[in-house]
Amino acid sequence: MLDRPLAPPPVEVIVAVTQALHREARLLDNEDLDGWLAMLGKDVSYRLELKSRRFRADRSPPLPLGPGVIFNEDLGRLKMRVDRLKSGFVWAEDPPNYIRRAVSNVEVLANQADNEVRVHSVLVMHRNRIDGTTRLLTAGRTDRWRSEGSCWLLASRDIVLDHSVMPDSNLNAFF
Amino acid sequence: MRIERIGREPDYSRYMDLKEGWLDRRIFSDADIYEEELYRIFARSWLFVAHESQIPSSGDFLTTHMGEDAVIVARQPDGSIRVMLNSCPHRGNKVCFADAGNTRRFVCNYHGWAFDTAGDLKGMHEEYCYDAGDIDFKNHGLKNVAKVGNYKGLVFATFNSDAPSLEAWLGDFRWYLDMILDNEEGGTEFIGGCIKSVISANWKFGVENFIGDAYHAGWTHDSGARSMNNGQPFPPIDMQNSYHASMNGHGWEFGTEGVGDLVLLGRPKVMDYYNKIRPKMAERLGEMRSKIFGSVASASIFPNVSFLPGISTFRQWQPKGPMQFELKTWVIVNKAMPDDIKEEVTKGVMQTFGPGGTFEMDDGENWENCTTVNRGVVTRHERLHYRCGIGREIEHDTLPGIVYRGQYNDANQRGFYQRWLDMMTHDEFGKMPARPEPRLGNVAETRDLPGLFAL
Ligand code: FES
Ligand SMILES: [Fe+2]
Repeated sequence: MLDRPLAPPPVEVIVAVTQALHREARLLDNEDLDGWLAMLGKDVSYRLELKSRRFRADRSPPLPLGPGVIFNEDLGRLKMRVDRLKSGFVWAEDPPNYIRRAVSNVEVLANQADNEVRVHSVLVMHRNRIDGTTRLLTAGRTDRWRSEGSCWLLASRDIVLDHSVMPDSNLNAFF
Repeated sequence: MRIERIGREPDYSRYMDLKEGWLDRRIFSDADIYEEELYRIFARSWLFVAHESQIPSSGDFLTTHMGEDAVIVARQPDGSIRVMLNSCPHRGNKVCFADAGNTRRFVCNYHGWAFDTAGDLKGMHEEYCYDAGDIDFKNHGLKNVAKVGNYKGLVFATFNSDAPSLEAWLGDFRWYLDMILDNEEGGTEFIGGCIKSVISANWKFGVENFIGDAYHAGWTHDSGARSMNNGQPFPPIDMQNSYHASMNGHGWEFGTEGVGDLVLLGRPKVMDYYNKIRPKMAERLGEMRSKIFGSVASASIFPNVSFLPGISTFRQWQPKGPMQFELKTWVIVNKAMPDDIKEEVTKGVMQTFGPGGTFEMDDGENWENCTTVNRGVVTRHERLHYRCGIGREIEHDTLPGIVYRGQYNDANQRGFYQRWLDMMTHDEFGKMPARPEPRLGNVAETRDLPGLFAL
């Protein structure tokens, strides 16, 4: 499907949403998890679907109940994850890992609802773990951001992880 | 097919004393020992390759590994399943790079040799370049494994033509296995895809964790338990009514309270579902097994498959060198479940034991660091402690296997390494001691067991 914008969003919107993405990455890198939660809409959906490597000419029908999802989270579940990270009992994060997120390829597109935009972006996540090993994960993201009052809130995020074998022992970080 | 290895015959009994309860750390990183494991364990055992539900129709296939050997598992037009090396007999290139799918042919990328789903060579690019007598098509197909077997939906294969039957290999462990494979009419299936991740740890750490290490859960997963349970840690274990049971290296550790793992799954609808079918399960499998199912439990099938009954994560630890494995995980459900319950199970599994799951996230790093640190040139000569509960062996009327009381125990881990040692030391299966003597004998169906075992 072509991403043909209805009418391009105003420049101020593009700037504001792009800034929101950068701010989000900074809050997460700095472990300001409550600050991050405050950027999420009440009805947020946060998803990561499973992929499997198939031949282009594959003849098999889709799986009856879909490919499966690694993340299919609502606000309550994301809060629970944040609570876990803040519990003081996550041994693998103590001392803290060094995590840095780079956001790029940001494309802000108009959406049907006029207080919403659709946003494509690329996330590169660098994780330097407590044992000194470094893992690099890259993902594509398709978001919906909604303007509520003076701020933009994340309404939904579909993550596509670019690894058929995940190069890390866990996905203990937000994308 | 017989896999011979000539050369080193070290005395592996030097690496452990399981009566005393210690292991030598070198088995977790030594490259020679690892090579030997590939020959003596992976090339000779029955290995899990697929659930039959993953390849329901003719032409369906998936790719996986047996040890480090790449294989294709394919459904044939007659409904049977074949397992063959995923390597072209011409120059050896991999013939199938897809994870799964449906096809009529596998065509090699290098020179275009083409094989049907049985592995038979059917033709090639520019076939005229071969003169009469150059190539015998019959002998140049994809090499099929020695045996394929199916136990209630789980498909296993072995490279070893001398391997005992799959039923004999699983032995009394079938009594336990049936709690996940046969707790309801219709059997099981895998739903959704397969998640693969690479973990820089020795494969045995994954297996031993699931075979018996209930002990780590309360500490390692403290943050997960508290976040899912209003800040409360795991409740203490009932050491009187929980057990370890080990059979030829397979093992199941479990409570008998029936709900612990279902609570951890965190999906009330799934709990309700099992509570509803539990009376039937008791009729089917006996009272004891209906109480074990759903309790805090974990299990491994020798050598490299594990699962959590009740939580429904099913996984395989695929060796990739002495200090690395690939973890493959699936979700297993009862076929008879309505779709919404299957979806609830999947959600629960991903939220707990998916790679982003509240519990799974804590494990990998422990295994990685056990592996790398054990390798230190001085460190590797120190022994590791595997003595927990060494005096708690009991005879149990109902429970098959070598049974120990108390879920916090190293008993199943010792049983696993005992089998490891047996396979590393004995050339012939017939000479390996049964641990223990099986009770079930040739009984085909543990559901129908009379008296004692059906209790
Ligand atoms: S290596 Fe497969 S066709 Fe030559
Ligand atoms: Fe664990």
